[in-house]
Amino acid sequence: MTQLVISNVSKRYGATAALDGVSLAVEPGSRVAIVGPSGSGKTTLLRVIAGFEAPDAGTVMLDGQLLADGPAIAPAHRRPIGYVTQDGALFPHLDIAGNLGFGLARDEPDRARRLRELMELVELDPAMLTRKPHQLSGGQQQRVALARALARKPALMLLDEPFSALDTGLRESVRQAVARVLAKAGITTILVTHDQGEALSFADQLAVMREGRLAQTGGPYELYWRPTDIETAQFLGNAVLFEARIEAVGVSCALGRLAAETGGRSGRGTIMLRPEQFQLSASGPGVEARVEDLAFRGAQCSVNLLIRNRETEIRFTAQVSSIEPPEIGDTVFVSIRGSAFLLPAV
Amino acid sequence: MTSYSSLALRIGVLAVTLAMTGAVRAQDGITVYNAQHASLTQAWADGFTKETGIKVTIRKGSDTELANQIVQEGASSPADVFVTENSPAMVLVEKAGLFATLPKDILDQVPSQFRPTSGRWMGVAARSTVFAYDKRKLKEADLPKSMLDLADAKWKGRWAASPSGADFQAIVGALLVLKGEPATADWLKAMKANSSAYRGNSVAMKAVNAGEVEGAVIYHYYYFGDQAKTGENSANVGLHYFRHQDPGAFLSTSGAGVLESSKHKKEAEAFVKWMSGKHGQAVLRDGDSFEYAIGNGEASNPKLEPIAKLDAPKVEPSQLDSKKVTELMTAAGLL
Amino acid sequence: MTVSLSLDTSALPLTRQRNLAGRAMLLLASGVALCALLPLGFIVWIAIETGWQTALALIWRPRVGELLVNTLLLEFCTLPPAIGLAVALAWLTERSDMPGAKFLSWLAVAPLAVPAFVQSYAWISLFPRFHGLPAATLVSVLAYLPFLYLPVAAQMRRLDPELEHAAASLGQSPARVFLRVVLPQLRLAVCGGSLLVGLHLLAEYGLYAMIRFDTFTTAIIDQFQSSYNGPAANMLAGVLVLSCIGLIGLEWLLRGGARYARIGSGAPRPAPRRQLGTWRWPAMALPITLAVLSLGVPALTLSGWLLADGDSVWQQGALAASLATTLGYAAAGAFAAVAVALPMAWLSVRAPGRATRFLESCHSYPGALPGVVVALALVTVTVRIALPLYQTVATVILAYVLMFLPRALVGLRAGIAQVPVELERAAASLGRNPARTLLAVTLPLAAPGVAAAMALVAMGVATELTATLLLAPNGTQTLATEFWALTSELDYAKAAPYAVLMILLSLPMTALLHAQARRSLNA
Repeated sequence: MTQLVISNVSKRYGATAALDGVSLAVEPGSRVAIVGPSGSGKTTLLRVIAGFEAPDAGTVMLDGQLLADGPAIAPAHRRPIGYVTQDGALFPHLDIAGNLGFGLARDEPDRARRLRELMELVELDPAMLTRKPHQLSGGQQQRVALARALARKPALMLLDEPFSALDTGLRESVRQAVARVLAKAGITTILVTHDQGEALSFADQLAVMREGRLAQTGGPYELYWRPTDIETAQFLGNAVLFEARIEAVGVSCALGRLAAETGGRSGRGTIMLRPEQFQLSASGPGVEARVEDLAFRGAQCSVNLLIRNRETEIRFTAQVSSIEPPEIGDTVFVSIRGSAFLLPAV
Repeated sequence: MTSYSSLALRIGVLAVTLAMTGAVRAQDGITVYNAQHASLTQAWADGFTKETGIKVTIRKGSDTELANQIVQEGASSPADVFVTENSPAMVLVEKAGLFATLPKDILDQVPSQFRPTSGRWMGVAARSTVFAYDKRKLKEADLPKSMLDLADAKWKGRWAASPSGADFQAIVGALLVLKGEPATADWLKAMKANSSAYRGNSVAMKAVNAGEVEGAVIYHYYYFGDQAKTGENSANVGLHYFRHQDPGAFLSTSGAGVLESSKHKKEAEAFVKWMSGKHGQAVLRDGDSFEYAIGNGEASNPKLEPIAKLDAPKVEPSQLDSKKVTELMTAAGLL
Repeated sequence: MTVSLSLDTSALPLTRQRNLAGRAMLLLASGVALCALLPLGFIVWIAIETGWQTALALIWRPRVGELLVNTLLLEFCTLPPAIGLAVALAWLTERSDMPGAKFLSWLAVAPLAVPAFVQSYAWISLFPRFHGLPAATLVSVLAYLPFLYLPVAAQMRRLDPELEHAAASLGQSPARVFLRVVLPQLRLAVCGGSLLVGLHLLAEYGLYAMIRFDTFTTAIIDQFQSSYNGPAANMLAGVLVLSCIGLIGLEWLLRGGARYARIGSGAPRPAPRRQLGTWRWPAMALPITLAVLSLGVPALTLSGWLLADGDSVWQQGALAASLATTLGYAAAGAFAAVAVALPMAWLSVRAPGRATRFLESCHSYPGALPGVVVALALVTVTVRIALPLYQTVATVILAYVLMFLPRALVGLRAGIAQVPVELERAAASLGRNPARTLLAVTLPLAAPGVAAAMALVAMGVATELTATLLLAPNGTQTLATEFWALTSELDYAKAAPYAVLMILLSLPMTALLHAQARRSLNA
């Protein structure tokens, strides 16, 4: 059974459509990431699900219960939905225990034990219960915020860019910890983020939003390697695009003949390659190219390459291992690992 | 609820309780709407409470303010007794039919000239109109023969009064009874041109003493009261009595009455009886109010000019029309 | 589903309002706004009841013209010197290297603690013949200067020095820079402060009654004392309200649509202070002279009266009683005003918009009305319609609430703006309904703003005279009414302790105001 069903939800702010007929189905226990550039409507969608905003049209249904039917909505505080924001939104006037217990009934039996369990669940020392939020690090605050939301045993957890305020190093570990906790609790989760790396690693389902619409949904691998359009392709990672002629088997382009799924199409098309598919060698095989520029990025190097092909010049960037990189001005041979992806015709 | 909000709530409740205490006090005993000088009525009330044990709550105000207030409040007025400085305010309430008739034994404590024939209220004290003048500037011969003379152009800018006060308005009321409306209106118009307005008789007398104006139409007791204290506001002041039944010799009756709507009529009557009786009149004689005692056979303070020598005009108190006076003074631009 | 639900979701009712809290607040604020329209409704009602002919006769008479001239003269004589002094003082304390600038800026605000009628009491104690327009002007300037100084000094500190540097680099002399760059940027502050002073000039009773200068407000009280709430008093009140509205309109016109924003990012650098050179020390003469006049004179006369009569003046029984009553009223008024202003403050922060702005002006306008008008309205309404409320504490508190709603709003708005909306959402997502969210999250976090709002209202109540005179229940004596009664009988010595207590009560709140004005700039 599908747990959360969003059907045709629209929401306008004045002349701009923040949400434009969005439909999404979420399976129980799954982790969905909604990604998109800022202003794409992803946070609005989250707030509609949480009940902080009412849609102009469309329905939101959770576990068979109607939460929103156009402007008629169930109030946020009556929904079994947890919500964690960018900065955690811990109440600064309450200590950690007060924050964790905020959603619990005051006469809840075993309250103290519950609080300790929650702390352990998010891998925090229960001794911190008496501290004030400002005495905790950013990562700890986010874990408390998560535990606070979990305390009410929500049917659905909404995470609104919960890791973006954290330092790069911390972000990864907190993300993994949160993923672990949510998996253990088996709670359906929706994460909103503009960080495609975060989305790809966190979610088992990805929804790409653009200008208030869902551009594409699917598994992370599927979306990364088989995007339906150029924008999605470029949003989820660097993409190198070539004009190509569709052959009986595969395609042919400036890089020569490449393996590709053509689906019986013919004529011309655009193929996408990810920078990490490129392989450079001094002696071939492959197409000859000149190294125009080179940027060292630690584990990898970005190499700007130029291919002269009769009258045309084609420039693109490849991502290669930084062990013994080429030098500027070198001539190298470019070959492709895996197959190219032929973007669907517009 | 957190401790913050419950604390705030508690403070709020405490505050309201505190503020209520003033109102709660009024629940027992009698409520007096008092336009008389606070200290005099307080002395009466203290003496009365001491003797009878009946508590007295006092609301302060001026004559016509409180009279109009009682009229507005009608049958639901919280007042039991109304005490004024002058008669017009009593007449106002009487005309509205809000006074209860006083028992004859109480009325008979003062001569009939100090109470209306209706017996709905009675005088408890009296005050005489005087022209308080600057002894350094005015000699006997320069003094006005009649209050009406002050309308002369030669008095322009030389005299003062307190037109917003009920005292002066009572004097105008007497003028209206004695000389009629056109003459009164003319005199008020001249007054607007000639006089300086001060707020309060004591302030006007202080101005005379300081040499700001040469004279002021006020009541007599402000002078004696100040003389009894330090004399700092009256050292240069002399009193001129107009006599000859001039409007300026008007003897104003301070009244007291019991409200028909009173729920404590017995106690209220007892208070009126006490004020007009021996003890109340003794407060006038011995205290620092310097108002005239008017009770039968009661003597006033010996420092005062005896009532008999004032040669005051006869004015039936019930004829004093405060509403007309206010209208005329408003029309003259004095209010 | 793997998680057991702690909530019963069997039948969640859907409601059409997009924002439950907002809807409830809107309802409450609308109720308060309706209540706040009472004084205006009263004026209209009375005008209709009195009838056009009578009303015209009462308004169109020489006395009203006289009062109008007096009032206009007072405004015209008081405002220009006050504005000039405020700008000069602000410049000296904020933008020059005058020694002791910080302390002197405090001294410039401190006269707020001296109620206006105590100020005039101090002056006529010293100069008994002092009266009329010159006296009214002098005492008004001294008493109300802080209302102009505070916003002008604040704006002066906020100015971006880069603009002045730019003007200087364009070849403008320092004097011209001040005239062409600094002064225009002070316009909003000057307009706002002048409006506040102008409204006080219209509303004040005690100050002008004491130095014998007739204004509409003194005339209304005179009429009230002669005829209670008669038509003449009410019509004067109507003219007074029109004057207030006229003043607000004038300020609105002069202010225009101006909003001075800093263009560019980053916090502005604190402006450099001008070197006064040899004028450094002589410059102190201005703030010190003003302090001597506005603080020294009251201090001198009050201590004079206190010393003259010794300890006995402190042993009046009424003193303690009226202090207790004043504290009670101040606390009750503060609590009530803040509670009543809460929905509006919440709305203006959380749901700004056209409807909110309209409701907000309904909340704010009674603050511009003189206490005597609010009181007259309440006297008439309670006597004629709501008799059980007549002469009760509740009615006095209602008057205070109406008069001081704007003060409560200012503090509360700032307080609530400090609470991120995310925290309220977090509370909602944790199952708290809007009312409980407000109590458990918003209010505790807005506590500093709430406290400031309460202090501002309490200060107003503690020195309020006219509404208290007209509305207080039988037997009620506050510091202000007792002080007034005693000075009316020329008992200046006995009145002195009441004045001292009022000043002492206002002092901490004045300090708070000063601190707040400075802090808001550093933030």
